[in-house]
Amino acid sequence: MIVCLKQVPMATELPWDPKTGTLSRDRAEGMMNPACKHALEAALMIRHQHGGHITAITMGPPMTEEILREALAMGADRCLMLSDKAMSGADTFVTSYTLARAIEIFCSDFDLVLCGCHTTDSETAQVGPQLAEELHIPGIANVEHLEMNSDAIRIRRISDSFLEVLEVDPPCLLTVSCQHFVPRYVPLAGLQDAFSGANILAVSAEDLGIDPRRIGLQGSPTRIVDIYTPRADKENIVLKGAPKKIVEELFERFETKLGGIIRKDLNKEG
Amino acid sequence: MKHKLVRKSVREFSESELGPIAHEIDRDARFPWEVIEKMRPLNFFGLQVPKRYGGAGLDSISYAIVIEELSRVSGAIGLCVTVHNSVGVQPILNFGTEEQKERFVPLLASGESIGAFCLTEANAGSDASGVETHAVLEGEKYLVNGTKIFVTNGGVCSLPLIFAVTGAGDPARNASVFILEKDMPGFSVGEIEDLCGMRANPVSSLFFEDCRVPRENLLGSEGDGIKIALATLDTGRIGIAAQAVGIAQGAFEASVKYSKERQQFRKPISSFQSIQNKLADMATEIDAARLLVYRACALKDSHKPFSKESAMAKLFGSATCTRVTSEAVQIHGGYGYSREYDVERYFRDAKVTEIYEGTSEIQRTVISRSVLAELI
Amino acid sequence: MAEKTPEIWVFGDYRNYFQNRVTLQLLSRAHDLAGKTGAIVCAVVFGQGVQEWVGEYIAHGANRVYVVEDASLAYYSTDLYVAVMESLARQCSPEIILVGATSFGREFAPRVAKRLGTGLTADCVGLDINTEGLLVQTAPAFGGNLLSRIITPRTRPQMATVRPGTFQEIPHNYQAEGETVRVPLPQNLPKDRVRLISSERKPAGSQKLEDSPVVVCGGRGMGSKSRFRNLNELARLLGGEVGATRPVVYSRWAEEDSMVGQADKHIRPKVLFSFGVSGAIQHTAGIIDAGFVIAVNKNPNAAMMKMADVAIVADANQVCLALIKELKKRLRS
Repeated sequence: MIVCLKQVPMATELPWDPKTGTLSRDRAEGMMNPACKHALEAALMIRHQHGGHITAITMGPPMTEEILREALAMGADRCLMLSDKAMSGADTFVTSYTLARAIEIFCSDFDLVLCGCHTTDSETAQVGPQLAEELHIPGIANVEHLEMNSDAIRIRRISDSFLEVLEVDPPCLLTVSCQHFVPRYVPLAGLQDAFSGANILAVSAEDLGIDPRRIGLQGSPTRIVDIYTPRADKENIVLKGAPKKIVEELFERFETKLGGIIRKDLNKEG
Repeated sequence: MKHKLVRKSVREFSESELGPIAHEIDRDARFPWEVIEKMRPLNFFGLQVPKRYGGAGLDSISYAIVIEELSRVSGAIGLCVTVHNSVGVQPILNFGTEEQKERFVPLLASGESIGAFCLTEANAGSDASGVETHAVLEGEKYLVNGTKIFVTNGGVCSLPLIFAVTGAGDPARNASVFILEKDMPGFSVGEIEDLCGMRANPVSSLFFEDCRVPRENLLGSEGDGIKIALATLDTGRIGIAAQAVGIAQGAFEASVKYSKERQQFRKPISSFQSIQNKLADMATEIDAARLLVYRACALKDSHKPFSKESAMAKLFGSATCTRVTSEAVQIHGGYGYSREYDVERYFRDAKVTEIYEGTSEIQRTVISRSVLAELI
Repeated sequence: MAEKTPEIWVFGDYRNYFQNRVTLQLLSRAHDLAGKTGAIVCAVVFGQGVQEWVGEYIAHGANRVYVVEDASLAYYSTDLYVAVMESLARQCSPEIILVGATSFGREFAPRVAKRLGTGLTADCVGLDINTEGLLVQTAPAFGGNLLSRIITPRTRPQMATVRPGTFQEIPHNYQAEGETVRVPLPQNLPKDRVRLISSERKPAGSQKLEDSPVVVCGGRGMGSKSRFRNLNELARLLGGEVGATRPVVYSRWAEEDSMVGQADKHIRPKVLFSFGVSGAIQHTAGIIDAGFVIAVNKNPNAAMMKMADVAIVADANQVCLALIKELKKRLRS
């Protein structure tokens, strides 16, 4: 099994590089993307039931090592760390390309690739499906429940308003729902072990034998023009005073906003 | 990086699991078994216990960070864990026979049994020579009689260590430590104390009435009591110092947040110099206290003497904790005095860090004795 | 040879036609963009018995509809749809392909982009044409706290998935004329590697909170479990649903399925009442699509208060009780 992980900045800190318009990840306090943690949990649950070997793989600056150590502490067997200046600034197109090359070289005999459903930073949810495409394997997104049978994997998921039951043969790629596979806490004994032993393999663009022009910012088909904070189009009217007064004022001043919905439902009640 | 991850992981656990209930367990003086249940498989009860006995095998700085992060959210749970790990488990690891280790340590490390260390009595605290609990060998068993008070984890412990007199003469020189088991006849638990702070920890008295303790439950040899107690307290102090740092950190963060939100004279109070000065002092003192703790930890891990340094860490850490939490209440103003805000709890929890595991006065004795001996 | 008229494609996602009108919204926006580039708007429809949708799309602004009809396309299969789309796009070389950011769209579009060797911007909340005639795609990041404008300068087509509700559909006009181009199923279509065992529409009601026009959200500021229950009464009177923040659920004041936030439920009520919610980003990312927001908090500087239409500085529970009283009074009169 392969689990793809990404380090994302903690929600409270958003240091952007105003020049390039990308995140200055080296200045942000990072954490494992929550959805990726769910994917890792899914892998751990599968291993618990059916055995297997879990390789966690990530691409990012050197500080990304931290989430790999965390993955080891939670129970991953080994890690691949794709870190190279040439890889930075990648969009989903080249990220999936780079990950796929690494998987082909270092763990080509996989049965299952697990990814989180989306990241909290760029929120594209595209790397999973595009990685499946690169690896020429089927992919299913938003998996809520999975069952490994002797030859196939049976999956339950909700896609738009449909509850689907699907079956797929390994090797395949699944992205897991954030509302299922709730990740375990990191056991402290695991943390101690995660730092004793060399189970992280650092991989550069050269190791992958890929043309640096095809990866990173240079290889990305999309370009960020600029990044900005949306201006709130809210009036932000502040009301103060005794609750009873406030409520009266609320109904008086915002009759048009509230009236339609509330009156309708009040009538229903009556 | 390891220490950073330890901090992050424990912080995530405490904020998710303890954060929502910290206020309530303090108010109701309730020991949250449901959280303890979740802590067991995460090795919170075997922090420094070697792997072969089922522990996490962490270094001392990691240990201090764990205690800090738990205490930052709930002092009472930080207390439970530090007491269990330091004075509840370490003495068996350091002075126990291989049989004792194999029999008791895995039970403690898994959290199945919670540990405690009982020294304090009605007439004995800082002065161990006042201990009246005694153990008399009758055949293959010791007959233990006496009462221990203010036992941290008292209400929930099942493998407490008991300091009892085993010979004539100065009790301090003729005392021993026993491993007691909860189901031994004659062992009973008193009522939970109604304390000012740390209310979620079931501090209680323990009673021994003709309690028969097998000889194999004697830790070390007869008369080793004071040696074990002193070594134990050196370690225990690091934990309490870390706890004090954690509580102070929690109160400090609450103060920073509040001072940015609270407006007076149409400005956040954090824009006033008097508040800024308070915050600067708090931050500096907490950092200094933390570094004293880590130094003691580093010395301990490199097997150098750390008795003076752990006493300094505890003395300074607990004083910092009391001062910082008091300032935190001050910054919060009237709200700080209200049960609705957490700083009031931090304030109540803080004081006892200057009292237990050796009062500040005793720490000064330890430090001065060492300083005077060094500079002959 | 005369230069071919550029085409803007909109993927016809009709599976939830009545609930989700994103395809119509995209046709409308494509129409605006086409006006700036001199392109024509094309809808792309795959499936079986899709004539109804062809008509709908023309009525909503499509100049041309490409139709690939076959029994094997009756069910939304990623593998087959991607293959058909790739083949069709290679034949016609559209300038732009827009796909609704539905669950299916977000699974389908990335693979199409990969096959066509082009870029894709996810879940856009804005689309425009810049002075160089490039599609400017506005995409949210960090739960909508930041927006980035993205272009695809070198590769074609320019692709984007677009968040439902971003654009307004054009009122239908059944007199509108449009061309229908029927394209045969490409040859050598691969086998679908995913086997469908069953697919059923989720029973109504399971999406109640997400679809409710009125939501009453509560945070730790409600004070206690019993006070939090007052929100249920208020929601009942308003004909809405109750949502909760993560700390509230962890404190067991509310059930887990009422949790609203970035990794939890995303709601989009017309009116949102927010009681005692501080407004951590993990929560607010789930309410970004709410209409009129009324926040109640003792702390006027809470993040939640800053993003509200009306910020009420008072005890959340007391305002909740006053609202209940007032609503009951109005109900009786």
